[in-house]
Amino acid sequence: MNLIQALIDATSTGAVYALAALGIGLVFGVMRLANFANGELITAAGYALVLLWPVSWPLAIIAAIVVSVALALFMDVAVFRWIRSQPPATLLIASFGLSILLQRVFDGIFGTNVISAAVAPGLAASIRIGDLRINLISIVSIALAAVLLLLIRFFLTRTPMGLQVQAASEDFRAARVLGIRAGVVIALTFAISGVLAAAIAFVLTTQSGGVGPTFGVQVTLFALIGSTIGGLGRLGGSVVGGFVVGFAISIFTTWLPSWINDFRIAFVYLLVAVVLVIAPNGLFAGRAVKERA
Amino acid sequence: MKQQQSERRGLTRFAVPEPVAKLWTLAAPVLVVWLVSLGASALSQTAAIDLGYALANLIIVVAMWTFIGNSGVLSFGHIAFVAVGAWTLSLLTIPSNIKAAIMPDLFPFLIDAQANPLVALVIAALVGGLLALLSGLALMRLNGLEAGIATFALLMLVVQVLTYFKQIGPKSGQSMTGLPRSFDLQSVLVIALVVIALAWCYGQSRSARLLRASRDSIQAAPASGITVTRHRLIAFTVSGALAGVGGGVWAQLNGVAQASQFSLDFTFTTIAMLVVGGMLSLWGAVVGALAISALSHLLGVLEKGLQFGDVMVSLPSGSRLIVLGAIMVLVLIFRPSGITGGREATWPFVAHIRRAPAAQTS
Repeated sequence: MNLIQALIDATSTGAVYALAALGIGLVFGVMRLANFANGELITAAGYALVLLWPVSWPLAIIAAIVVSVALALFMDVAVFRWIRSQPPATLLIASFGLSILLQRVFDGIFGTNVISAAVAPGLAASIRIGDLRINLISIVSIALAAVLLLLIRFFLTRTPMGLQVQAASEDFRAARVLGIRAGVVIALTFAISGVLAAAIAFVLTTQSGGVGPTFGVQVTLFALIGSTIGGLGRLGGSVVGGFVVGFAISIFTTWLPSWINDFRIAFVYLLVAVVLVIAPNGLFAGRAVKERA
Repeated sequence: MKQQQSERRGLTRFAVPEPVAKLWTLAAPVLVVWLVSLGASALSQTAAIDLGYALANLIIVVAMWTFIGNSGVLSFGHIAFVAVGAWTLSLLTIPSNIKAAIMPDLFPFLIDAQANPLVALVIAALVGGLLALLSGLALMRLNGLEAGIATFALLMLVVQVLTYFKQIGPKSGQSMTGLPRSFDLQSVLVIALVVIALAWCYGQSRSARLLRASRDSIQAAPASGITVTRHRLIAFTVSGALAGVGGGVWAQLNGVAQASQFSLDFTFTTIAMLVVGGMLSLWGAVVGALAISALSHLLGVLEKGLQFGDVMVSLPSGSRLIVLGAIMVLVLIFRPSGITGGREATWPFVAHIRRAPAAQTS
């Protein structure tokens, strides 16, 4: 049953990318910021995990969440708060600059080499059901993503703070006029994106066991592109777009014949191009409130 | 920068006819680039080497301005055209026997293809322009921010293909060596000045004006009958061709071409130049490229270490991009339109246009 196995792996990769897209989409909703530096939140959490896991695993998980949330809040306070009223393009450039800057900082602190440690070695095992061999980490990442997605959905639709975030995403100015505190709402979305980054870092470090300065770049790039093809500014669209891209990467890696397997990433980008030609505003684009007036 | 400050203080300015003032917006950047080159090549050996890279970056930044500045749409994908330009020039100028030795899987016609470096540069421009045209057909249908993010995909796609497609290059991830040095600093300078002139000429064209109208109001321009997509596509193609030239020059200076060099770091450096200078004007692109290159040279010297009496001062390597990133973020916070404010160079002249009654009748 090779097929089911491949589908489960693809679903787990897709789930991780969907989480990344969700973090980006939440911040984009209230800020119109496509946060490229989201990748460095993942990297920071990854460093916390590999450095502290040998010491104590609960400490490592707590540290990963604290570090990435703190870094996310710091980004907001140090950079994005000051340019909130700039057009989205300026915000994207700033986050790109911040991303490269932080990569060099990681480079300076931890060195260019990959730091390795066995994070959650228990999850490297696989379970057998008949012919089926399922990696435990695939199950864990699907479950983790499902739980986080449901939690965030519950938060957005059932709690007063979540409703404020939704209101601010709909119409930021009107929400402010109605007394929603902009700074708090924005900081909250940054913090959530930090928590999501820590979850992504957990899955990725368990899979790869090593963290380098550009650890989080690829998943962020794919998640950004995924949210674009899903439709920026639509949370559901972003999540589905991220999932589709992750799913496609995994499927291409498994099924492309070896002579063109090197081109699997290129095929993903080609797929993105095709989708964009068919649906320029994204697959799930709703009302076009792209630029805040 | 100095010129700009005096302009804002309203120092000595001469009223000249409007065409002269317009020509000055071309003459000023050309003069500044020429003077800076003269100074830098006289300064030191390392400054002369860095000057070459500065001019290559200048070409790339000016190429990016032709699209980003005129259309107002971001592009993080221009390094893809640079890579393609570098690839084209390398494949056309590396001697056939070396090509056959280091790239055994190359298409036969590519092994035989040879061209004089200047012809190769023109072909690099054509290939860059063609790639921009083809990818633009998909990308230009997108709106502002989506287009910007999708250009990342273009860059990654091109880098992946150049890395693994061994029929058009070396085996995965290896580099193309054996590039003969055919351009000296002088000819690189001339090429850079020609590129500035071409970009300026494009900027004066009807298409570019219509595009700038759409940049300033994406609602009003289509309502006035401007087909924004078509003019964006034209700008993207011109800009891709100029970026191809930049890539060719860069490969010539570097002597080695490798797919992994066309990375996000390269993209960042050039975007930072454009943003710091001010991305809405050609003058901004030129000033930004020169200022950041000068700073980069200084930081490079400091990274190697500088002797102050008994004390050796040196920066850790890699601090170049940290400083650059910090400067870009600071400029975005405190002066989002760049150090030139996105204006063209006008000082010391002012267009004599208001007082001419003939001009008002139109």
